[in-house]
Amino acid sequence: MNFVTSIMREDTFWRILLFVHFLLAVGLLAAITLQAVAVLMPARQVAGSFSERSPVPAASYAALIAVVYVLQALMGAWIYVKYRTYVRIPMEQLRHFWTVGSFELKEHVVTMGMGLLPAYWYFWRQPLSAEHENVRRWVTVFLALSVWYAFVVGHVANDFRGVGS
Amino acid sequence: MTQTLDISDADKRFARPDSSHAMAAPISATPSKFGTFAITFSIAFPLLYTVYERLNWPLFTYHPVLGIVDFGRQPAGVGPPMFWYGWIVLAAASALVVGAIATTIPGPLLRRATVFCCALAALWPAALEALRYFIVYMATFDADFLNSAWVAAIPGFVGAAVITYYFPARLADRLWTSWLLIVPIVGLVVLGYSLLQPWFLR
Repeated sequence: MNFVTSIMREDTFWRILLFVHFLLAVGLLAAITLQAVAVLMPARQVAGSFSERSPVPAASYAALIAVVYVLQALMGAWIYVKYRTYVRIPMEQLRHFWTVGSFELKEHVVTMGMGLLPAYWYFWRQPLSAEHENVRRWVTVFLALSVWYAFVVGHVANDFRGVGS
Repeated sequence: MTQTLDISDADKRFARPDSSHAMAAPISATPSKFGTFAITFSIAFPLLYTVYERLNWPLFTYHPVLGIVDFGRQPAGVGPPMFWYGWIVLAAASALVVGAIATTIPGPLLRRATVFCCALAALWPAALEALRYFIVYMATFDADFLNSAWVAAIPGFVGAAVITYYFPARLADRLWTSWLLIVPIVGLVVLGYSLLQPWFLR
């Protein structure tokens, strides 16, 4: 940390981290949302015994989603240190209790999602198991909802005290 | 002949592995060792995380102001203590052990054990709450000795054993992967409920 503070102000460093966290979140959000849409909207049946391919190659980026999810969680856990001391205390003092509570729930939601990643990765391994299609779909949807919730709540917390606030 | 070749080509073209639905190739109903580990870990982790959070059992406490880590749960020193990391690491370590054990036991036993653990996770705290209600509202004697997690463990274990015994084996098999969604959703309901009073209804 001393090395970083010799180059830039500590606040700037945390803001850069927060911005990278945001960029990764946007990427993860896009990927998991596309995948969730792909599993919720089955490919249309066309003539013969063939099915139309899904417009999104859902299986091919499951591993990427899992890796980015873990990276995001680790990054969030790092920034959380700053949040706990620099953001949450004034939030409580200014009685923004809903924001604090929502952020507390975000920790749990993200943790639950992280716990599901091994199963998620297993269900998306090739060849895809027809038997596990249903659980694969809903685990993916759960992860998508967890990322959306984390994104929205993180954005609200950022607006209180973060990049551009 | 030409048509046959065309269809064959079309088959190859459509049967790409990136389709998430219709092209799914059936694989064995019994998951591999890795599959057993992954599914068991993903059921155990949210369950244990919820339990550790509710009991406030972190593996360590981080003090962000001082930048130090203490083993176990420690009270606030200078600045607020952070337990979240400690709950996650303890839940992950425990789930790793549970997942590793799961790969060594037969499938039917694993599915029954999952039912037992989930029933226990629900009944143990329910029994503790029931005992506390009994102590406050119904007891006509000094029943404070009943206010203990270890006393509540007895009805919890007995209830979970009875449920597991009478739980149909086929249902346990069919339900196994469903625990992947049931456990985190119920866990979030429990954790969310615990946030109502301190934050949302304040």
